[in-house]
Amino acid sequence: MSLCLLDEDSFRSSCKLLLQQSEELRDSWTWEPGSSEEGYLKKIALKSVVIDSSLKWNLIDDDEGEAADVCGLSEGSSSSQVFQYEYHIVYSCSYRTPALYFRACTLEGRSLSLEEVWSSVHPNLRLRLKHCPLNTITQQEHPLLGQPFFLLHPCRTQDFMRPVLQAAHQQNRSVNYVLTWLSVVGPLVGLDVPLHYSISSSSTKPD
Amino acid sequence: MSDNAESPTETQKEESQAPPDDSTSNEEKKKIDVFLKAVGDTPIMKTKKWAVDRGRTVQSLSQFITRFLKFDANEQLFIYVNQSFAPSPDQEVGVLFDCFGSDGKLILHYCKSQAWG
Repeated sequence: MSLCLLDEDSFRSSCKLLLQQSEELRDSWTWEPGSSEEGYLKKIALKSVVIDSSLKWNLIDDDEGEAADVCGLSEGSSSSQVFQYEYHIVYSCSYRTPALYFRACTLEGRSLSLEEVWSSVHPNLRLRLKHCPLNTITQQEHPLLGQPFFLLHPCRTQDFMRPVLQAAHQQNRSVNYVLTWLSVVGPLVGLDVPLHYSISSSSTKPD
Repeated sequence: MSDNAESPTETQKEESQAPPDDSTSNEEKKKIDVFLKAVGDTPIMKTKKWAVDRGRTVQSLSQFITRFLKFDANEQLFIYVNQSFAPSPDQEVGVLFDCFGSDGKLILHYCKSQAWG
């Protein structure tokens, strides 16, 4: 149903609304213009992540002396580390939905591997998603930047958006597609979308 | 498809309590009335009104509904406030009530979809 598809213009207007709210709520989304009309929403967040001991990298092997210090820092099974996450909301022409691209690095600038990214996925969702991790989060080229990013695959986006959009359509309510979508997918990859987005969107209804 | 503003007293007889999975010594005050409404072709729950602990998380509520409606392993449940916003799994129901509750109750919509992948 065309109702569930998002065209590029609606994507941009949805993003604009989200940006306005982000400004009001002092969240840090920004619009990064690409060439011509293209562009994407971007947010950088620092997150403290508890690393599973199984996901710790093994540095001991290469250099006993130095690496011992590094390992000493992350000792213990519930050590937490601060990572910098960069999230991009990009329009996917093939799926006609928004797509969530992201990358993460340590504060020293080392990029995180797919395994480490998994450690930031909500534990309750991790189990469920782990049946087919490669279909869920994959590493792909960013369509506008050409750099490697992780992508939360948009192939199911329409499926979970459809009921919400249809209900809204029947009741003549307007829904910010990008915001609703982001509230669903964000927590999967450690991106918090504050409740206040929903409160402010219900008070200032867009046309 | 939905029940319309039923007064809490009318539904008193079918009021049930979500199974307390942490502590059983909760006072009435700590419970809030949550109305669960299905969206689209998601199965409805005969009992719409549930007394839920304020401290219960969205995740735990979602697990409860998933079990209650006997979802398949590949089906995923989504819970929405305002029919349009999915609160984070860690969010507590009490906070949702404070933000979105009205007339002493909190209305949550739920729907299912195939899981990712």
